[in-house]
Amino acid sequence: MQKGKAIVVSDMTKEFGSIVAVDHVGFEVDEGEFFGFLGPNGAGKTTLIRMLTTLLRPTSGKAIVSGCDVSEEPAEVRKRIGVVPQGMTSDLDLTGYENMDLYGRFYGIRGRERKERIRYLLEMMGLTQRANDLVATYSGGMRRRLEVARVLVHRPALLFLDEPTIGLDPQSRRVVWDFLKKLIEGDSMTIFLTTHYMEEAETLCGKVAIIDAGKIIAMGSPSALKADIPGNDIVSLLVGNLSPELVRAIGELPFVHKAIAEENSLRVYVDNGSKNLPVLIDDVRQAGGTILSASVHEQSLEDVFIHHTGKTIREEEVKKVSFLVGAGVPQRFGR
Amino acid sequence: MRRLLAVIERDLIKFKRNPVVIGMSILMPILYLVILGNSFQGKLTDLPVAVVNQDTGPYAKRVMDNLRAIQAGPKTFRITNLSSEGEAVNGVKEGKYKAALIIPADFSKRMSLQARPEVGLFLDNPDNISSETIRNLMNAALFSIRSEYVPIRDKTGEVLLRDINLYPKVDYYQSLVPGVIIMAIFLGTLTSGVFNLVMDRFLGIEESYLLTPLTKSHIVSGLVISGLLITTVIAAIITVTSMLLTGIPLSRGLERFFPLFSIVVLTTLCLLSLMFVILGRARHPRIVGIISGFLNVILFFPSGAVYPVESFPGWLKAFAKCNPEVYAVHALKSILFKNAGIASISGDILFLSLFTIVLMTIAILTFKRTL
Repeated sequence: MQKGKAIVVSDMTKEFGSIVAVDHVGFEVDEGEFFGFLGPNGAGKTTLIRMLTTLLRPTSGKAIVSGCDVSEEPAEVRKRIGVVPQGMTSDLDLTGYENMDLYGRFYGIRGRERKERIRYLLEMMGLTQRANDLVATYSGGMRRRLEVARVLVHRPALLFLDEPTIGLDPQSRRVVWDFLKKLIEGDSMTIFLTTHYMEEAETLCGKVAIIDAGKIIAMGSPSALKADIPGNDIVSLLVGNLSPELVRAIGELPFVHKAIAEENSLRVYVDNGSKNLPVLIDDVRQAGGTILSASVHEQSLEDVFIHHTGKTIREEEVKKVSFLVGAGVPQRFGR
Repeated sequence: MRRLLAVIERDLIKFKRNPVVIGMSILMPILYLVILGNSFQGKLTDLPVAVVNQDTGPYAKRVMDNLRAIQAGPKTFRITNLSSEGEAVNGVKEGKYKAALIIPADFSKRMSLQARPEVGLFLDNPDNISSETIRNLMNAALFSIRSEYVPIRDKTGEVLLRDINLYPKVDYYQSLVPGVIIMAIFLGTLTSGVFNLVMDRFLGIEESYLLTPLTKSHIVSGLVISGLLITTVIAAIITVTSMLLTGIPLSRGLERFFPLFSIVVLTTLCLLSLMFVILGRARHPRIVGIISGFLNVILFFPSGAVYPVESFPGWLKAFAKCNPEVYAVHALKSILFKNAGIASISGDILFLSLFTIVLMTIAILTFKRTL
């Protein structure tokens, strides 16, 4: 057993026919770490998590999860981890309590201990009042909270969450976030999470891997990833008559690291954005540009993604979705 | 063991929460008994037959007496006397009558002269079963007109067939009871067992079970055992109800409780494992729908429940040899109607047990523990 490492993945690949969903991925997660996989939908996050949690066999490569090889000792891996899959997987014909109780029994947790643990978790997730109602009557947010609670009945040391807050309202999302933070701090768990929400990765994760088209394109702490991109602020300008000459001229200004144009919006990577904004506006006007709007923001993980791929995560999503709709293949069956 | 019990309990709770399915699983086989019993009656009765008698002689009269005797006795047909030959034949063509018998004016005369007397029978021959029956009865009615007044006992040279029933009399409805029990078992195994797995898969719930430490055998045998419990209860209710409905004394079921119970359990296990092998990887309940309709036809109709297996063509007989429902029907008939002990159904028990063991093994081996 490799001490201190919760997950060690080396050169892992998964192919579905001619599609390469995960492409030679390698990374390590330390015990007690909150590790996030950030990327657009269809980047390979779910496939990766399914391989790590023994639901899919990798085409090639190796993964050690909680000290066991996922291909050789899948049963042992399953005993040690907890997984919240992306889809809603609680049983609609059972009550919230029954769902949790059965799960506890599948893991061999005995009577009183199981009962107390379930009561505690339901309370934590604010579901005590509805514990004896059928899950079919729950809202999406309640069902998701139940699923997070359910996976903790057997106190796994390593928790996998695949897009845990997808489709949740901001309030439910907050509840889940606060709860996950508490787990990392109080119960010294290791958490592996995938998300396409920048904010989620930035708020929760100590370390983030950015994935696109099956490949890891950047990895590190959110602050280190942001430090890698030039400048510390980004000025976004909407310019009425944006020309290549203008973009080049702006790029050559002394406090500007980089200027990228996209139709008529201009992203300028600068130091000290608030101080330099008036200067930048003057310079654009002098060069003949008409400014329609201007804003300054600190660099986020979104900017890291743009820096490495040249596209936004949202754009990428829209493209994927329209491709799927056009092909008439629902994502679930497209694998 | 604890984990297995949890899987079983889960299914039982879910089944209990679905009272419509429970009700239908019980009601449908009983309706089936009523409908099948009335649509495939054992003997044909009340077939409409037109008779045109143009002869006034003594032999025609005897023919008519014989026909009336059949109408009054076994009631195979109902006679309508008509005067016009054309009307009778058209009536058959229009579907008003199943047959028309025409006795020509010179029938008695030719009879007494022994000059090849003839009687015309127009048959609705596309309706195979009724026309065959009518033809045979008419032949018998015509054949016996010569010997009408000779008492049988005086003809000492003729062979008399005396039939002896080996078992207490079983009427047609009663003879359907084994089939109805099998039907109840089929429906029970269809709505439990592997069906739960297909539904979980379809609803995306399966993933959460695959993520737990449950093994293949936990999942497969858990589903099979819960299916067995549910189906046995349904089959017991159906057995008692159909015995009450058809007048088979319940005491007979109680006396032979052990063999009856073992056949129900074994047949259930057989069908559950068969369906597991066929549907173990299905992802959509529609596939279960299609397969189940097909399975029901190919297993039930050649099972001997409605028609004797011995009369099947060779290839169907060969198929019947591997059809578990054939063994189940044979065993149930022996138990319910022939007062058979375990010895006479030991072959059935052996087949059903082997079938279950082989198919359960295949089901567990082929079950996919990944997505």
